[in-house]
Amino acid sequence: MDFSLSDEEKAVRETARTFIRKEVMPLEQEVLRRERAHEPGLRLDELRELQGKARAFGFWGLATPEEYGGMDLPAVMQSLIWTEIGRSWVPFRFGGEADNILFFANEEQKAEFLVPTIEGERISCFAITEPGAGSDAANIRMTARRDGDDWVLDGEKTFITNGNDADFAIVVAVSDRDQDVRAGGSTAFLVDRSMGWRSEFIPTMGEGGPASLVFDSVRVPGRNVLGEVGQGFALGMQWIGKGRYIIPSHAVGVAERALRMAIEHANTRETFGKTLSTNQAIQWMIADSETELEAARWLILRAAWTVDQGTDARHASSMAKLYGARMVNDVVDRVLQIHGGMGYTRELPIERWYRQMRLLRIFEGTDEMQRLIISRDLLRGYTEIGGHLA
Amino acid sequence: MNIVVLVKQVPDSGSERGLAGDNTVERQSANNVINEMDEYAIEEALRIQAAEGGEVTILTMGPERAAESIRKALSMGPDKAVHVIDDALHGSCALSTSKVLAAALGTLNPDLVIAGAESTDGRVQVMPHMIAERLGIAALTGARKLTVDGGTLTIERQTEEGYEVVTAATPAVVSVWDTINEPRYPSFKGIMAAKKKPVQTLALADLGIEAGEVGFAGASSEVVEHAKRPPRQGGQKVADDGNGGAALVEFLSSEKFV
Repeated sequence: MDFSLSDEEKAVRETARTFIRKEVMPLEQEVLRRERAHEPGLRLDELRELQGKARAFGFWGLATPEEYGGMDLPAVMQSLIWTEIGRSWVPFRFGGEADNILFFANEEQKAEFLVPTIEGERISCFAITEPGAGSDAANIRMTARRDGDDWVLDGEKTFITNGNDADFAIVVAVSDRDQDVRAGGSTAFLVDRSMGWRSEFIPTMGEGGPASLVFDSVRVPGRNVLGEVGQGFALGMQWIGKGRYIIPSHAVGVAERALRMAIEHANTRETFGKTLSTNQAIQWMIADSETELEAARWLILRAAWTVDQGTDARHASSMAKLYGARMVNDVVDRVLQIHGGMGYTRELPIERWYRQMRLLRIFEGTDEMQRLIISRDLLRGYTEIGGHLA
Repeated sequence: MNIVVLVKQVPDSGSERGLAGDNTVERQSANNVINEMDEYAIEEALRIQAAEGGEVTILTMGPERAAESIRKALSMGPDKAVHVIDDALHGSCALSTSKVLAAALGTLNPDLVIAGAESTDGRVQVMPHMIAERLGIAALTGARKLTVDGGTLTIERQTEEGYEVVTAATPAVVSVWDTINEPRYPSFKGIMAAKKKPVQTLALADLGIEAGEVGFAGASSEVVEHAKRPPRQGGQKVADDGNGGAALVEFLSSEKFV
């Protein structure tokens, strides 16, 4: 068994790490300052400029196929890069990405929606969640009624990431009440904001926030159906499943950075005439954090590796998401405790992580949904204990 | 133009560094990277290649682990590399290192050799001069700018006061400071291509050098002892009882700051 990275994996990670250190981390204090002033930490034009710089040396579209100018990286490499991104609290990501389900678009739709999204000229959002349908996504109520060649959409979507900035939405709605939403009853639509939907900002405990989208008799041409009529729920599940190893990969970077801060603080801050690090209570927090961090890292890399093997990665990804999200919350909590009062202030990024990371246990499949998937696989005998080594 | 860039692997200056039991730089456990100044040399070579054509070769002398830095260097864009590797090289002084590098350069027949002005481990800054002397060619050192006009090289040599313009005909050795350019990031394609680029390894025997001429055996200098830099002393505090200004001036003049 070999746990080492290949030369290419190391080199790709090294380039991402250098870029983050040289170009992104210098913005960190400014991001905190702006957010304290209730401004966006990083403006869209600044993000695009950074993404453009990275594009110049080919870091563009980590998951995007080469024919669209992307890197089409294996999942393990993507995971490693997201960990590097996570080490900085600047809300940066490499450019050239689009929602995975936009690749199901037909040629005209690709030109109108997919390519401009990859190029950063358009901003998409994906809308399935509703006030009455979250983890139970099959409960969606938004209706899509046929009217000649058009469809008319009515209803409300909520907690939509990017919903405030998006100029088009990928919306899943009930298109046939007589069929199960999961099997033929729902359809995905590409809906321009100009067609009449409106968004409302939802303040959250994190920086920035999602939106609710209101559709009041929004007329959508038939050519804007994404994929096939009746395929909506299946596409939605593909969208949700995609990021499950990415989210905790990012969390590993956060935990690494936070833990480093705690170690440095413990080694320098003196109380009662000795450094914090001499107290066993502090030592144990550091030991537990590193242990859980490593456990998460390998669960996540295994999930990514499973994706690269082309086998079903849902079970591995659910464990990675569940444990990674939990781990980063626990580590940040301890790091805050080690920093004491300073950790609670907005001078340091720790309280920010404390707020931001809480979302990881909720979005893109809550802890409970991950547990449901994991246990169901085992109880029904779909998965062997021990995974691919069983 | 046939350009050779000298690249050295050094312990990362950002992490803990030390000397091994035999008073040589600890490379085994260190986090090793390309000497930072060498990245500027590579960048300069690639820019000249883009304008003038030709080939860029990386030349490294170092242990097996130096191969990582060679791959990193190649991922920035050079065409090939030569790695001089031999157990007998361990403990080599600057003089014998220059002998080995000059011999290796002899096999490559370069028009232009570019090097970083110093390495962050040894910091002796003599390698470009020594190599040029051994090869009997010009040394244009400490460049903050380099222009190539046919067979004529012109540099702006950075000095404390400003710069000097120095010219020489090719072949020549040029050493560069980090003011000369902004090194590129290895591109994704470059990283993937680096693996396939040829890396030739040469042993001392390939260069016609006896083991006794280099390493500890042939060293002209030897580190006999080393100690950690003493911790910084606490500064002198001057309380301002109305004569703070005078006390400050007295301190500055006693330390010859003014």
